[in-house]
Amino acid sequence: MGDEVAMQFSSIGFRHKISSPKWYNPLKKRKGAGISHVDLSIPKGEIIGLVGTNGAGKTTLLRMISGILPLEEGSASRNGIKLEIEALRSMVGFMPEQVRWSSQQTIRQTMTEFAYLRGCSLQSALDVLAIVGLKNRIDESLDSLSQGMRQRLSLGVALLGTPEILVLDEPFNGMDPVAIDAFKRLLRSLASKGISILISSHHLTELDHLVDTIALLHRGQLLAHGTTESLQSSLGFEQMTELVLDREIPESLSNSLNVLEYVDTASEHRYVIESGHPGLLEELVKRNFQISTWRVVPPTLIELLCSATGLDRETIGMDVEQSSMVPLRPIGGEEE
Amino acid sequence: MTPAKRMWRLAYALGKERLFSTRMLIMLPILLLFIPGMAWGFADPNIQLPADQIPEDATETMFLASIGIVFAGTMAAVLIAHDGISRDRTSGVLEIRLSQPMPRWRQGIVLIFGHWSSIALPVAILLILSMFLIGYRSDMWIPLGDAVVYIIAAMLVLLWYTVFALLASSIAKEQGSAIAFSIGLWFLFTLLWVLFTTLLAALNGVAVGDTQDQGYLIFEGRLDLLSPNGVYHHLLETRLDGVERGVSAFGAYIAAVMWTIVPLYLFQRRLNSLVP
Repeated sequence: MGDEVAMQFSSIGFRHKISSPKWYNPLKKRKGAGISHVDLSIPKGEIIGLVGTNGAGKTTLLRMISGILPLEEGSASRNGIKLEIEALRSMVGFMPEQVRWSSQQTIRQTMTEFAYLRGCSLQSALDVLAIVGLKNRIDESLDSLSQGMRQRLSLGVALLGTPEILVLDEPFNGMDPVAIDAFKRLLRSLASKGISILISSHHLTELDHLVDTIALLHRGQLLAHGTTESLQSSLGFEQMTELVLDREIPESLSNSLNVLEYVDTASEHRYVIESGHPGLLEELVKRNFQISTWRVVPPTLIELLCSATGLDRETIGMDVEQSSMVPLRPIGGEEE
Repeated sequence: MTPAKRMWRLAYALGKERLFSTRMLIMLPILLLFIPGMAWGFADPNIQLPADQIPEDATETMFLASIGIVFAGTMAAVLIAHDGISRDRTSGVLEIRLSQPMPRWRQGIVLIFGHWSSIALPVAILLILSMFLIGYRSDMWIPLGDAVVYIIAAMLVLLWYTVFALLASSIAKEQGSAIAFSIGLWFLFTLLWVLFTTLLAALNGVAVGDTQDQGYLIFEGRLDLLSPNGVYHHLLETRLDGVERGVSAFGAYIAAVMWTIVPLYLFQRRLNSLVP
């Protein structure tokens, strides 16, 4: 993780305009859900996982950071100097969720077009294709590309002009596990070259072993940002361990454990316990238990959210169903 | 590479892509039929037209044949540009375009010029071909000045329709709405305008039964300033003798400038506030 800050976003906000037709004004719009007062510091070479449920505002925030949506509130700065939207766009490479590249155009023509839009050389555009593994398919038409190839092309376009920050919106959607693994390795190597990466997902597991820090977004607000450990600690999260044994733990031993979950099947006994029992493994081995699983269980997104918001699982679920990016606190009074 | 050169390259690539697209191949026979085909027909020395109108020179023949531009040229411009933005919005490419550092007004010019050039080029060639066909068939040759005005006027009306179509495409959330907007506008100005003019004239007490009535002609001429096709015809009429429709040549030029500036401004404004 780098100490140098690539970009700083201070109290940024944006609210979508929702059609609200009235008989006297059929084009009337009102302000709806959006992003509210988000402060985010992006260190150089760090991979940040932006995590939130559907409708939390991840895509909106990423679009703001990429300069697609205006910063209605707050500002973006670098080294204390405020950035105008065009400067912001030139520093950020954006990869949207599942672009359906389709036309008779070839990869070469597409990259050339975006090199012109980006203002970078054609040679650098071709070099990027080598990075994303499309160099051998440079003269293939977009129609012939698989979904994985299309994702790679989107990443290639985002990498044009050597951006300092790479913004990826649900990049793993539609990719098979092999492609996801290759993609993660590619992102890691980019981060090691000093490119900061902001990556959104609604699955924490997808970000495993990839991100340095996690930013937790809910209802348009950034609830927490830090390493998984620091988040767990700051949110008062107990670390959990899952163990699967061949038989039941005797009461004398289980009394000293805080068992959170216990599932008993014919062949195995699965426990989820609070971590922090240093002698437990040794004790189980001494008593000839067959241990088929022993792993630290990462908190799920819903658990992190419950912990961060103080809401219970059912209430959070209702929120997600209503897909409400409505801020937890009101922004500047009235809706309209 | 300078920003202007990059814009030029982008517009060239877009224009080339649209020029050789399947839809252009489909439209080309229609353009051939309507532009040089009409010129060939109106250049017939034995032509019988309503109200005993007989074209007296090549400019008049070109004026009559301009209906081909109004019907086929403008329709082709709309069909070429109607998905200029909505297609990218549907595929997700628009998000990438909007995140690029090239200012949106420059991107807007690329879009307009790219789409417009792809229809302007074949129409200009067909117009020149029409002029030669008229000369060949009727032995009347259009003066160079008139030819230039006719070509510029045709290019302008195509530009206006291209911008309308792109504007509609930027507003529509999907392809169906985009084409409905664009074709609807084309339908209004090309087919419904006569009805609209007649209705308004009748409401104003003008004798609508007689289309040669001077009062009606002046009313229609002035109302035509509110229609791109009307302004196009006013521009063509600046090269004809004995046309009195209540609008001076200067008025027609001003209207042409307004029809160019206002939609361009609206489109650029729309592009600046565009969200995917």
